[in-house]
Amino acid sequence: MMKVHVIKVRSHCKTLTALALTAAMGLTSLPATAAFPFAVAGQPLPSLAPILEQVTPAVVNISVSGTKVSQQQIPEEFRYFFGPDGLGSKQQAQPFQGLGSGVIIDAKRGYVLTNNHVIADADKIQVMLKDGHEYEAKLIGADKSSDIALLQITAKNLTEIKFADSDKLRVGDFTIAIGNPFGLGQTVTSGIVSALGRTGLQLENLENFIQTDAAINSGNSGGALVNLRGELIGINTAILGPNGGNVGIGFAIPANMANNLVQQIIEHGEVRRGVLGVAGQELTADLAKAFDIDVQYGAFINQVSPNSAAEEAGLVAGDIIVSVNHNKIRSFSELRARIGTLGPNKEITLGIVRDGKEIPVTATLKPADNQLADASNMHPSLKGAILASTDKDQGVMISDVKPRSMAADAGLKQGDIIIGVNKDKVKNLAQLKALLSEENATLALNIQRGEQHLFRVLR
Amino acid sequence: MKNLWSYVSKSILLGIAVAAVLLLALPQLQNKQGLTQPFSLGLSEQMSFAAAVKRAAPSVVNIYTRTYQKSTINSKATLRPQSLGSGVIMNKKGYLLTNYHVIANADQIIVALQDGRFFTAELIGFDQYTDLAVLSIDAKNLPSIPQSKHEQTNIGDVVLAIGNPYNLGQTITQGIISARGRIGMSTTGHQNFLQTDAAINEGNSGGALVNSLGELVGINTASFQVSENVETMGISFAIPYPLAVKIMNSLIANGRVIRGYLGIEGTSINTVMAKLLGLKANQGIVVQNTAPDSPAEKAGLVTGDVVIKFNETEIDNVIWLMDVVAEQRPGSKINLTVIREGKQLDISVTLGELQALQPQ
Repeated sequence: MMKVHVIKVRSHCKTLTALALTAAMGLTSLPATAAFPFAVAGQPLPSLAPILEQVTPAVVNISVSGTKVSQQQIPEEFRYFFGPDGLGSKQQAQPFQGLGSGVIIDAKRGYVLTNNHVIADADKIQVMLKDGHEYEAKLIGADKSSDIALLQITAKNLTEIKFADSDKLRVGDFTIAIGNPFGLGQTVTSGIVSALGRTGLQLENLENFIQTDAAINSGNSGGALVNLRGELIGINTAILGPNGGNVGIGFAIPANMANNLVQQIIEHGEVRRGVLGVAGQELTADLAKAFDIDVQYGAFINQVSPNSAAEEAGLVAGDIIVSVNHNKIRSFSELRARIGTLGPNKEITLGIVRDGKEIPVTATLKPADNQLADASNMHPSLKGAILASTDKDQGVMISDVKPRSMAADAGLKQGDIIIGVNKDKVKNLAQLKALLSEENATLALNIQRGEQHLFRVLR
Repeated sequence: MKNLWSYVSKSILLGIAVAAVLLLALPQLQNKQGLTQPFSLGLSEQMSFAAAVKRAAPSVVNIYTRTYQKSTINSKATLRPQSLGSGVIMNKKGYLLTNYHVIANADQIIVALQDGRFFTAELIGFDQYTDLAVLSIDAKNLPSIPQSKHEQTNIGDVVLAIGNPYNLGQTITQGIISARGRIGMSTTGHQNFLQTDAAINEGNSGGALVNSLGELVGINTASFQVSENVETMGISFAIPYPLAVKIMNSLIANGRVIRGYLGIEGTSINTVMAKLLGLKANQGIVVQNTAPDSPAEKAGLVTGDVVIKFNETEIDNVIWLMDVVAEQRPGSKINLTVIREGKQLDISVTLGELQALQPQ
């Protein structure tokens, strides 16, 4: 019906060839008496300049380079002729470059927050400060389903941005976006909060965006959305634009959600999800009528999983969750995003509407027992395999293998359980990750496949 | 006299001393106007449009239309979603304003309130010249939009656009009034509507443009693009509130907008023409064309006539005349003062009614 693209705003390096700087010429002709009008008709003029001077040094440009491995698409039938190491498995490595933005959130330790899609697949991440200093950055951890990544640089005299409490935002509050659109250099745009708790864009798994009309464009990704006090309220992530440019509809990940994820990445090197154990849907007007409920927002619970945090807290199907930790929940997607980013073992207060009455319920989130991890982050030869922890630490299960991937070529199959690497035993994902991060030229995986024990060698 | 002098000087000295102590004790009293604290400059730290949003946003609704469509030639026609827009609840009686193009050709109009309620709306009337339509819903406890008949809109005023762009859900965008609109009822084109740099996109059409107090200043419309294929970021239009109300009242009372009709095309007199015709500049208009069978033709107006007065009031431009004519009742007699071949004469015209545009 409508042609609308939702665009992630990492810009692919474009060289700006001719940018004539005529501003300098214009300056020389300014009359010496020309002064900034501090007041018009007795009314002082507002300006964001003083607050920006304090904040902008904390927003950095990020440039990445790497190679994307693209497989030659040879149909399965023909692969027979070339064998497993023949033409069919040849890969094309295509170099790519990208640009984005980032925010320094800890000056002492050099932590830089950005979007996962800015640094995804990058081999080299370069951070450039506003003053022109460049540093190579280390990736501390990233979370694909919320599109957050944490980098670290080693540098002195950095400026950091403080986190604001993004749960206190209201529609209509002023916003300032700071970033590096189109690789132009640091750019500041202003607007207001257009909407809160925006979900359903199908960009990420966990969506709970702040919507703003401050101009966000290609290259702004990972940059800061700040309030009038210069505190971070969000990480600019995406825009909706019919022709690829800004039309006043931009999306940012709320600061509180980003902060929760950062704390987990710092602590564990990865994001761990807390699980409530409910399935449900949006509360519609029809549903509200059918259940004779006097609320028009919230997450309607269809089902409560056995032995889950929700069951222990006494939730039942038919309940409507209207708040988490006293923050209004507008939709089921928003509930998912909130719960999914809080982390395991967190005690939370849920506002529940049951039989027309709102009651508070306390629940403790359980760790996700089937933690899934993309193995390509662990070892290049494992690209294409999705790993999952097993119950009772009995190894790491390969829950999915993409056909024609590196992992498939290495002879791994879905359902295999990795129980050892070289001479060391593997009990869970964390152990496997640690072992794989050691720089071994060759890895021998000890695999259990049904009754069989096998070795697969990775190069 | 001496007493008074010592009394005054003592009070002054005491005042200075108290002020000095206060300043020493509370240093934040200093420098209130300093540039280091930007938001003491008339902007409070909590500066936000949240209050205006709270007042206005509940009365902006989402509008969905459906039409009967056949999927195959022989099948029964079923209602299918057709278009999307926004609307504004104007009063507690349930009258809503929206854009005509949002509801054009719709077989069913559904109004969704921000509190989750849905209603099927009745079309009261529409006016294609201004792209406005009035709907009515049968509902209780309706939040009507704050309105102020006295507040004037000025270029530079901060405005908020409220609507449902791309069906994302309610969205507030902010900008200023870039150019001011006319509020006359004549059909002289949209270029004179309110112009704003607040982002207005598909789906915003029919939504509200409000001021920083949350009061309605215009009805947004995304249909007036400067050019089809050019993205016009920062140039959006809205129908000014006073005009929208005039149209709404006329539609509610009559089911249509009744405009007087004269039937001339004219142009204002510029300095060169004034010299050629031996007239004062910016006085009157030159008739360029009269429509066949129009009231003007019947009354004997001809091309080249200079119309200088309308019912004894001097005419200074064409748009003013068009607006005045549009406001007259069809059938009413008006008097035009005309200069023809150097001679002044009065022509009496019985106005007709401007016909509505043919639906597309």
